[in-house]
Formats: sequence, C-alpha cells, structure tokens
Amino acid sequence: MEWAELIGRVAAHGDRGAFKLLFEHFAPRVKGFLVKTGMNADAAEEIAQMTLLAVWRKAAQFDPATAGAAAWIFTIARNLRIDSARAAARQAKAAVSAEQHQTPDVMDSPETMMTRRDDVSRVAAALERLTEEQSTVIRMSFIDEQPHGEIAAKLGLPLGTVKSRIRLAMARLRDLLDD
Amino acid sequence: MTINHHPPEDLLADFAAGRLDEADRLVIGVHAAQCPRCQRFIAAIEQLAGAALEQAAPVAMADDAFATIMAAIDEPDTASARAPAASQPVPLLDDDLPEMLRKCQFARSRRVAPGVKMQPIVLPGADKSRAFLLWSAPGTRMLEHSHTGTELTLVLKGSFSHQGGDFRPGDFDFGDGEVDHQPIVGGDTPCLCLVAMSGDLQMHGWLGRLISPFVRL
Repeated sequence: MEWAELIGRVAAHGDRGAFKLLFEHFAPRVKGFLVKTGMNADAAEEIAQMTLLAVWRKAAQFDPATAGAAAWIFTIARNLRIDSARAAARQAKAAVSAEQHQTPDVMDSPETMMTRRDDVSRVAAALERLTEEQSTVIRMSFIDEQPHGEIAAKLGLPLGTVKSRIRLAMARLRDLLDD
Repeated sequence: MTINHHPPEDLLADFAAGRLDEADRLVIGVHAAQCPRCQRFIAAIEQLAGAALEQAAPVAMADDAFATIMAAIDEPDTASARAPAASQPVPLLDDDLPEMLRKCQFARSRRVAPGVKMQPIVLPGADKSRAFLLWSAPGTRMLEHSHTGTELTLVLKGSFSHQGGDFRPGDFDFGDGEVDHQPIVGGDTPCLCLVAMSGDLQMHGWLGRLISPFVRL
C-alpha cells in the first residue's frame, strides 16, 4: 500500500481506516525524529499528534506529483515545530511586556513553497546522482542536526575532512540541480 | 527577473530543515518565493528529510494519541485559516511589498543616516537576529563596514553594488565577519532591501568610527 494513495483516500472520502494506517506508521516516526533532534518526549508527542491532525485536514492539498508522502509530512512537522517555538518565545516576551503582538507566521502553510511540477523530476534526478556518501553527510549535518565533531567521530574522519565533505556535497547538489 | 546572487547552500538547507532564526528565515523565504532555483534546492533537502523521517527509529505514541486526534478531527478547524495581511498601524516605507512581508507586523520607521531609513519588522520568535526594511536614496554611499554577526540582504527594489558585484531585485547578499564592504546605491532610483542582521556593524575609517555610535540598525 502506497502512503500517497492512503492520503488520497483521506482527502477523497475521509477514510478513517486509511488514516489509521498513516497514523500508525508516521506518528511514532515523527515523534522519534523530533526526539532524535533534541526535543523532549512530551513536546514531541504533542507535535506528532498535531502533525497527524494536519495530515487529515490538509490531505486535499497533498499533491503526490510534487512531493513524497514522507517529505510532505516532514514539512508539516517542521512548520509545527517552528510555530511552537514562536509561541513559546511570544509567551516569554509577553511575560515581560504587556504589549502582545498577534503576528501570524508568514510561512505557516507548506503550499506557499510548493515545488512546481516540472521541477520535481529535476530534484529526483539530482538526488539520484548524489553519492551515498554525499547524501549521508548532508543528512547528518542538516537534518539530523549533528555537530560536525559528532559526525567526524561517527564516520571516523578528521573534522576538516567532514567540513569539506559537507561543503562539496552541497555544491554538488546545487550543480546537479542546475544541470 | 534575472537573479544572479543566491543564498549560500547551508542557509538554504537550514531553512528547509527549519533551523533558521525567524529573521533569517523571513529573508530566505522571501528570496525563495521568487527564485525557482533555490526552491529546487530546498525541495531536494526536504526530500532527504522525508527519507530521514521514514527511517527514524519509531518512538511509541501515548496510548490515547489516536483517540485524541480522532476527537479533534470532529471539531471545527480554527488553526489552519490562512494568515491575512496584517493591518498596519504605522505607515510603511513602501506599500508595494512581497506577499510574505505584507503579512508581517512593522514598527515605526526611522532615519538612520542622511538618505537612509529603516523600518523594523516585529518578530516575536526572533532570537539572535532582527529583520528590517532598509531604504536608501539613489547614490547613497554606505560606510565601509564589516559585521560581528551575519547580515542577510535581499534587494526588493533599486540596486546597489560593492566589491562582490551588482545587486538587483531578487538578488541576495550575505555578509559576515570576514566581509568588509562599502555598498553604493545605484544612481537612478531608491534602493529598498530586506535585511536580517545579527551582531553589530563595525564601521571603518575615521568618519565611521566617529559616527558609529549614532548608526543603530
């Protein structure tokens, strides 16, 4: 069963059985991902629940031609994490000043950044041509949010090598996307 | 619009991963909204993030998590209404701004130096950096400066140039402690930029050192 197809069923007729399968697969992974990148378990639980609720509500906005299901769910979780950090900051500031601004997040909707369809194949082709080693260092550094020193220890490489490897991987991804 | 100067890749990747401070995120977001090339890069990082999510070690959800979500589904959705353009209680330096900026809350604009005005953007989540519009009269010669932190600049209107090249609408300029530059605004029209800045400017030359206590961005 494809995840994209399940999201389609949720969008088309509010299929609760399909949604349960999505929940069982993705909720614990969103939680695990957030915990791994430094969030405490209670906050991660809450964001994972909000993410799946948003999957239900925004299912009709999901376009399988422009994003994979996992990437789409990642962007929802990412935006919710940003929102919760903003809300916490706003509360902390409101505690010292009575002035409370209601500023909506300007980038709260993933669709504002939706990739154009004709770019999708270029992105896929570029990622395909990135070496395993290159996608691994990009992932460790930017997505798993590991400090360079930790990556160096894990890969058994000198720190300088890790830094240049990350820089080269990013430049190569840019080049591949420009082809 | 031809865009010749783009953000460094690591800033785009941090944007895609959701790791940028709010002010920096705003500037990268406004640039990317008008730059298909950077949108592709961000989309590629999001795909890698999706793969990482797919492979993340699952952590068990609370026993009642699914029931909680199913209960919420039947409630009306209040949270995801799209943000309307903010009503601006203060006059803006420019009324014709990109959509993302029109949703922002602005503070009152003020004069920074002769021919230079700035207007802060109110960002409650901004931690280390701040964002503002910077308006400069045609031909303005900025003081030679470097930075203690970082400076992300996006040209919205007009142009400026420095040792790094010519910067026109859509172009992105990145400055940090290693960059020492003296931008000159193009001669025909005023230049309007969106700037995110952390740390302080360091002015150079006797004039710069003399007036730097008065230049507050």
